[in-house]
Amino acid sequence: MSAKEKSAARPPVHERLRRLLFLVPYVSRHPGITVDALARELSISREELLEELDLLTMVGRPPFQPDDYIDIYVENERVYVDLDQRLSAPPRLTASEAAALAAAAELLRPAAGGALESALHKLEKVIPPQARARFKEMQQKIDAGVVAPYELQPLVGAIAQRREVEFDYFSSNRGVSEPRSVRPLELFSHRGQWYLSAFDNARGDERLFRVDRLQNLTVTDRTFPPAQARSARVPNPAAHGDVRVRFSKVVAPYVRERFGDDARPAPDGAVDVLVSGESERWLAQWVLSFGGEAWVLEPESARRSVERAAQASLESKA
Amino acid sequence: MNRTERLLDLVALLLDAREPITWAELREHFPDDYGKGSDEAAERKFERDKAELLELGIPIRWVVGDDEKRDGYVVDRESYYLPEVGLTPEELAVLYTAGSAALASGAFPGAQDLAHALRKIGFFAGREVATPKVRMELGPVNVDSAQVAATLEVLWAAAASRKYVELTYFSPRSAETTRRRVDPYGLALRRGVWSLVGYCHLRKGVRTFHVHRMRDVTANAARPRSPDFEVPQDFRLQDYVATFPWQHRFHAPIEVTLELRGELAALAPRFFADQPTAPTGDGQGTQVTVRATFLEGLLRYALSLGPGCRVVAPADAAARWRELLTKVRDLHSDAERGAA
Repeated sequence: MSAKEKSAARPPVHERLRRLLFLVPYVSRHPGITVDALARELSISREELLEELDLLTMVGRPPFQPDDYIDIYVENERVYVDLDQRLSAPPRLTASEAAALAAAAELLRPAAGGALESALHKLEKVIPPQARARFKEMQQKIDAGVVAPYELQPLVGAIAQRREVEFDYFSSNRGVSEPRSVRPLELFSHRGQWYLSAFDNARGDERLFRVDRLQNLTVTDRTFPPAQARSARVPNPAAHGDVRVRFSKVVAPYVRERFGDDARPAPDGAVDVLVSGESERWLAQWVLSFGGEAWVLEPESARRSVERAAQASLESKA
Repeated sequence: MNRTERLLDLVALLLDAREPITWAELREHFPDDYGKGSDEAAERKFERDKAELLELGIPIRWVVGDDEKRDGYVVDRESYYLPEVGLTPEELAVLYTAGSAALASGAFPGAQDLAHALRKIGFFAGREVATPKVRMELGPVNVDSAQVAATLEVLWAAAASRKYVELTYFSPRSAETTRRRVDPYGLALRRGVWSLVGYCHLRKGVRTFHVHRMRDVTANAARPRSPDFEVPQDFRLQDYVATFPWQHRFHAPIEVTLELRGELAALAPRFFADQPTAPTGDGQGTQVTVRATFLEGLLRYALSLGPGCRVVAPADAAARWRELLTKVRDLHSDAERGAA
């Protein structure tokens, strides 16, 4: 889809007006804000901002006498507006703005607890009365209800205050729970799972933790200096692998969708993917999760370990 | 005068006005825009401008005068200006955290709306709201998020104004590509994947489409302000999208009992999203009862948890679980390889 088609969905005039009606009150609330800071706040480039400021100097009200224009100007890289009573505050939230915000807020439910409910309640009150029905209607049209573990909220707080946390972590690679003491750096949701990126004190390195696998979380009083998180990524199992897994024709389209070119064509509509065999346990459980539509071709040792895992499940006692 | 400038002038004029602005005054104030040509053409032009302002949340309306006041257009200042929302720091943090994580994913329906909403709620809060270190990534791995973002914008605008869309859809199940017309009812995010739920004119029913499997999505551009369809009263978005691997909307629910032992026992509520649990008879494990509408999905999920998790009831579910395990085992045994 081209950028042109995208803009066809909503005329640029709409976007510009919205921005300008925010810009004037914002500058009057933050007189002397730098051009760069203002551009950042509006998520536009410096050049775009200067163009907007140019346009604003031409805005006025009939009969367009000198005093009838918005007096906004840049002086030594700083932006000022002569107090403009008309545009002292931005317009209220539109129905679409409120609906998009409410939908995004769902990402943190139920971790956000009461704060989310009360925030949405207050939000609804500042939507213009005539837009409320439409807000309700639009709220029904979007649902970003990601499963959010309860630990999310204390972790967000610990990251913000740079406080170390402790928890018991269940590592599915090893199948055991162990106590950890970490400096929490960043939270992110990947394929619907929440991960914590943190500096592990005992291991002296940054590690990834699945938030739904940690228990008995305590936020300690120990603070730590600001650190730049490396924007951790969940490893792609097909990134560097030596274990060849074959996927039947039935699941091949989904595997191709997930792994792209790393899924190589094999006979009978099947595909092969080379994955990491670093964790035997992970490999066996991953192959098992395809319920017989995936199997290891090589190496022999990996085949044996999947076979053993399946046998172990069959023999597990009730 | 360009349109953005004219609309801003209109806002400035109406916000400043002490009394209603008559149509004659508007024509006089904007001679190049509303003053020229026929009355009808000028009025149409103004109506389009007015509609745009209404969409921006500017409460412009026509009032009928009386002895004191004349007829004309007004903007009600009280309902124009954003008041102090009065959010507590905690509430503000929740909205900021969630909102910026959604924007960071690179694809969120109404991303521009969301960005503006965040600015507005931060307006009175000052500049001390820190950007939280929370983000969201979309899956599956190979998603082109720019493409998903562009598609979502089209779908969001179409769903909001109830205009139908046309799209080319790839179905992995049939490995076929079809061109369809869909009435977009709503958008849902599950496990990092955005879906559109809507009435499919090709299949004559409500269907769910993954946004990343769509190509060439266009909304009906004819008569943008009049809706093409109604969303049925009883429609609920969440009925059409699965949150957990054991959910699917086509089957009747069954109760499946699983046992978790060893290290897994304590994690049962985590693994099964707070479905009811109880200790096993010997007190060594945890029994969890899952209301499943998609048995095959539940069984595969159970298999992925390893030997600490077994399916115990009902009998046919347990048998199917063993059958899958046997199949995987045999696929990896020497005998099977010899046959291949």
